[in-house]
Amino acid sequence: MLDRGPRSRRLRVTVQYVEVAAQATAGGANLRRSKHTGLPSRLLALWQRRRAVRLLVARDLKVRYASSALGYLWSVLEPLLLAGIYWFVFTQVFTRTVGAEPYMVFLLAGLLPWTWFNGAVIDAARALHTEAKLVRSTNVPREVWIVRVVLSKGVEFLLSLPVLFAFALLYSAPVDWHLVLLVPGILLMSVLVLGIGLLLAPLVVLVRDLERIVRIALRLGFYASPVIFAVSDVPEPWDAVFAFNPLAGIFELCRAGFFPGAVNWGHVGLSAVVSFGLLALGWSVFARLERTVLKEI
Amino acid sequence: MTASEPVIAVRDAGVRFHRGRRHRSMRDFLIRGDRGMQPGEFWALDGVTFDVRPGEAIGVVGRNGQGKSTLLKLVAGVMLPDRGSVDVGAGVAPLIEITGGFVSDLSVRDNIALTAGLHGMSKADIAERFDEIVDFAEIPDFLDTPYKHLSSGMKVRVAFAVVSRLEEPIILVDEVLAVGDKAFKRKCYARIDELLAAGRTLFLVSHSDKDLQRFCDRGLYLKQGRLVEDGPMDDVLAAYGREDGGSQ
Repeated sequence: MLDRGPRSRRLRVTVQYVEVAAQATAGGANLRRSKHTGLPSRLLALWQRRRAVRLLVARDLKVRYASSALGYLWSVLEPLLLAGIYWFVFTQVFTRTVGAEPYMVFLLAGLLPWTWFNGAVIDAARALHTEAKLVRSTNVPREVWIVRVVLSKGVEFLLSLPVLFAFALLYSAPVDWHLVLLVPGILLMSVLVLGIGLLLAPLVVLVRDLERIVRIALRLGFYASPVIFAVSDVPEPWDAVFAFNPLAGIFELCRAGFFPGAVNWGHVGLSAVVSFGLLALGWSVFARLERTVLKEI
Repeated sequence: MTASEPVIAVRDAGVRFHRGRRHRSMRDFLIRGDRGMQPGEFWALDGVTFDVRPGEAIGVVGRNGQGKSTLLKLVAGVMLPDRGSVDVGAGVAPLIEITGGFVSDLSVRDNIALTAGLHGMSKADIAERFDEIVDFAEIPDFLDTPYKHLSSGMKVRVAFAVVSRLEEPIILVDEVLAVGDKAFKRKCYARIDELLAAGRTLFLVSHSDKDLQRFCDRGLYLKQGRLVEDGPMDDVLAAYGREDGGSQ
């Protein structure tokens, strides 16, 4: 009868509290400890707030695609134009000696993942800075702001894949089962971008001019990555350098379906080692700088 | 009894800030980490220790810049202590910088969903309480207006409406009662009364003795980052008045 009376509410809150406390002792679910927490508990906290990530990614995609009629076009326009230019320069002006035929498909299979990498690194690097107000006012694991960028750029990449398939069809490129290697390619790319993002985001808050350096590094990185050519096109002493670029293995996985023999498993293995290494480094730097960053934003 | 276990336990908590330079050099970060005191640093909070039991209503007093907001941010989990520990055993609804979480380009409707979601409200709960929130904020005609087009008073109303609907056992309130017109203020008071009656734990930062006396039974007095008084609200206010009253 007195269902909504203060007393029963108080009881309910108490019960809630007991539940929370029990949960906390069981697995640290809701209990927040300010002492240094290790990677496992950080992962757990992130997983528990996955809904926040989903919300933010959905918001990003909404802003990207719903707010402008040309939304989808914009997201594929840049790689398409770049591919067109490189195709023109390397097949019409010069005689193509790098990459593989159909060159347009070769270019797109590198440029689309590059666009993801480039956009995600730029946005992730300044994620904590641009979302400073939200970071300051909501208690979600701070990794959320980086994961969100990696994922929403990843979804944009997935949505741009039909363009690649359309050109593959247009040029009637041979397609085989190696196409499934796109999946590990995408996973590896996520790991790599997350690692770089976690590393850069706190540093950009503390050292503002790092953002410019990142942009310059990315511009140079484009030519230091096998986008318009393959690692096998690079002459002897330098190809080893390119092999250490984690993007080499990833692009090879993306090209595997259309270009038989594109994959060099040595490159893929190196790429995995470097990507996971960067993730470990990025996460530890992020955890270490977190408290300082929270004071500075 | 579990009910008497502290819901917030703050142990020797300290937060260090820099007075001058905004940040240290890359070299310091990478080589020295965040150990060691540097010139120009000071403790915004220093050796603060206290427990809060479920259902307590606590008022925090002190002059500007004495660490009140920093303390609330620690409890809210949006800042981490450099020393000591802050253990919070239940969810927190932070009414701190409440308009901060809103995105100016999104509509009010989307903003409500986003902020509520970020604070951990489930989709079903948001749907269920959406009308309540809109009703409380008195903005039924502005639901599809971009948030940036609202007046500043409306913005605060929407924000307060959302965050005060979070079903969290702990509520933090930082000066938000100072804004808004009289009628809305009355509503906020009523809402806080309601939450207190429901057994929530309240943490209130205010410069209004009236508000503090109205809601709080226990007071914390911060001076230069140190907790100098912890006791019944009236005693703490009296001590604060004795020490700092003359300079106000």
